[in-house]
Amino acid sequence: MREFFHRKLERNAIGFVLAIILVSGIGGFVEIAPLFTIHETVEDAPDMRVYTPLELAGRNIYTREGCYACHSQMIRTLRDEVERYGPYSLAVESKYDHPMLWGSKRTGPDIARLGGKYSDAWHVAHLINPRDVVPQSVMPKYGWLMRNELKTDDLGKHLAAQRAVGVPYTDAMIANASADAYGQASPDSPYASGLSERYGEATNVRAFDGEPGRLTEMDAVVAYLQILGRLTDAAHRQAAAAGK
Amino acid sequence: MDVDHNSLVGFAKSWGLFYLMLLAIGVVIYALWPSNRKRFDRAKKSIFDKDDRPGD
Amino acid sequence: MIATLTVAERQSAIALSMLVAFFGLIMMIAGSGDVLGVHGVIVLLFGLGFLGLVMSKYFEPEPPQERLTRYYDDPTKVGIVLSLGWAVVGMFFGVWVAALLAWPDLTLDAGWASFGRIRPVHTSGVIFGFGGNALIATSFHVLQRTTRARLPDQVTPWFVLIGYNLFCVIAASGYLMGVTQSKEYAEPEWYADLWLVVVWVTYFLLYLRTLQRRKEPHIYVANWYYMAFILVVAVLHIVNNLAVPISFGSAKSYSLFSGVQDAMTQWWYGHNAVAFFLTAGFLGMLYYYLPKRAGRPIFSYRLSIISFWGITFMYMWAGSHHLHYTALPQWVQTLGMTFSVVLLVPSWASAGNALATLNGAWDKVRDDATLRFMMVAAVFYGLSTFEGSFMAIRAVNSLSHYTDWTVGHVHAGALGWVAMITFGSLYALVPWMWKVERIYSPKLVEVHFWLALSGTIIYVFAMWNSGIIQGLMWRTYNDSGTLAFSFIESVVAMRPYYIARTVGGSLFLLGAIVAAYNVWMTIRMARLRGVTETGGTDEPVLPGAGAALQPGE
Repeated sequence: MREFFHRKLERNAIGFVLAIILVSGIGGFVEIAPLFTIHETVEDAPDMRVYTPLELAGRNIYTREGCYACHSQMIRTLRDEVERYGPYSLAVESKYDHPMLWGSKRTGPDIARLGGKYSDAWHVAHLINPRDVVPQSVMPKYGWLMRNELKTDDLGKHLAAQRAVGVPYTDAMIANASADAYGQASPDSPYASGLSERYGEATNVRAFDGEPGRLTEMDAVVAYLQILGRLTDAAHRQAAAAGK
Repeated sequence: MDVDHNSLVGFAKSWGLFYLMLLAIGVVIYALWPSNRKRFDRAKKSIFDKDDRPGD
Repeated sequence: MIATLTVAERQSAIALSMLVAFFGLIMMIAGSGDVLGVHGVIVLLFGLGFLGLVMSKYFEPEPPQERLTRYYDDPTKVGIVLSLGWAVVGMFFGVWVAALLAWPDLTLDAGWASFGRIRPVHTSGVIFGFGGNALIATSFHVLQRTTRARLPDQVTPWFVLIGYNLFCVIAASGYLMGVTQSKEYAEPEWYADLWLVVVWVTYFLLYLRTLQRRKEPHIYVANWYYMAFILVVAVLHIVNNLAVPISFGSAKSYSLFSGVQDAMTQWWYGHNAVAFFLTAGFLGMLYYYLPKRAGRPIFSYRLSIISFWGITFMYMWAGSHHLHYTALPQWVQTLGMTFSVVLLVPSWASAGNALATLNGAWDKVRDDATLRFMMVAAVFYGLSTFEGSFMAIRAVNSLSHYTDWTVGHVHAGALGWVAMITFGSLYALVPWMWKVERIYSPKLVEVHFWLALSGTIIYVFAMWNSGIIQGLMWRTYNDSGTLAFSFIESVVAMRPYYIARTVGGSLFLLGAIVAAYNVWMTIRMARLRGVTETGGTDEPVLPGAGAALQPGE
């Protein structure tokens, strides 16, 4: 009986295709289905904040330049990694990351907890020529980040698209996105206060590239690098609780 | 019905796995079924048939 | 080539070109001031270029009805040439990025020439440009020969081939301009992804339509693999690239998934791209060209069926082995590891089946470099699938992950398996396609073989060494219980291996250039003969002259 059935299947190309879909599809789907609810397994972190427009712009430049090809942002639950890089990464820490940038290769070190480790000036010098600060480094130079003005006019659209995929940006955040980006890198400007209001007092507000008057791509990238691992304290809290 | 993560995981771990194993057994039976031998032998030699024109 | 289209087909080709140009125009206008606009210009020129090409031959006489009694191989021929062109480009970028890790300033002070932007040009160039074109070209050939049916029309295959290459061009030029989704091996942005869906569905329908016309009752196993490749890649591509563009006038989009869910989707895609693009498709090649070239039927047809289903349903769940010890739930990691280990069974069944086919034809393997390419490919397929299962074990992965070992493993597969089986198949196919008794220079095939093999071995050994050293240095403690090495010390230790890798890659690139030259000269040789002996018709010039190598004919 099944004999006859399979012969028919093979003779009919469409039937055969359906068989492939069924076999890999049903099995595959049953196995994949749990992933669509996987966010239920993500820890709670009420203090988690979203990226500011400037940080998001920096993240996009990080993506654009392919930084993820050499730097991971995922500290594994292994002793040496925790000692080298800090508390291991929690799922909640990347819950607003569309897409995630966990990476798959460490030609350079993991940077999941890079924020606050180095000064802005160090980052600027390092990005312009890594070998000025780390002589043996093989990282590329990114001089143009300092030369390029940051494009801010469409940041509102960026935030709106982020909201469409589930990041809780408010209407006010979307409406003020461009001004907030400017304000974050210009502490003395009137735009700076609105930013702190919307994203919290702990937000870094300073001239990241060392030039308060200009908003460059360097401002954005450094702002992003300085927030890595600092959107929530969940991982540190968990590590502290485990240590007690 | 309330489908939560754990029940889907449970389903995948039990029935999903069972399904895959069943399929594996089915495929092996099909491939080794004695009366299929002739067709398979023909198929594997078919690529050496005259093939410079379609349909003959 | 255009002269072989009927007038009606020329009209559809013109309509399609105009449609592409029209979309290019829309992209250009909507995306002005954005990179999308630049891509609009490229698409517009692409459409106009083909429009002009078809128009210039529009008034040529109709092709004779007699064409329907022959296979339609023009798209395959063009696909072979494109594949080799992409191979040279993709591998050149590969050597460049490899060199940049040893000499980081070996580039210009410009965004487009920096490591992070040219690396995806390398990966997409070789995987999609070289591999994809070779898959499309060979699939058209294998499909027609094994079904004994001519492709149903003469426009669809061109649409698939040319449309696919438009996707590749958009992808590669986009990376240089900084357009990327950052999803590894799925970097192109939303509009390129949508276009690929159109092309891919057409490809799938073309395959089905041809299968429906077949004269052979049984579908030869190579087609199963090609079909699984087309079908599953479509599913993977669509799910992994779900994203919301920030506007229809911008190239930028944000992926629908985030964090752990995005990671799992990405590696479900990433690993199955390996399974169904880089494995299933090329196994299709192996199951046709290896027996053909060896003049021996596949050792066990039954085994090929069992391994087909094994690969089809087990790979689906292996992707999570890319995420061991991460924030992914542990049970997902364990299941991924289990499936990856079990996958060794169908993988080795395929590799063993290929090698057993050659048993009794070892003298041919010794004398014929083309067959030797395929033999080595099967060996590397066995090696790298073993390595893959091994690296999927959590304890091993804790050492190997994030290191160059992964890169070594990927290249054992990509150079040793994918590129070798492709070169072997193309060398077998080229003389059949251009109807000459043999390739322009078998000696150069031999040269290419040794360049490719030595390049692969140098590359893979360098990366094994560097990866394992790296992994060990990161986890070594000194007596006082602190980490023994700073990260930069591990970077310094990599340098000799990065240089060796560049050398290995250069040898491989050199081999690809030799192949491109050899094939080009074969085409020229065929043309010259065609002109002098038969007055330039498409009739076989020396049918079956390669009988010693292809007893089937």
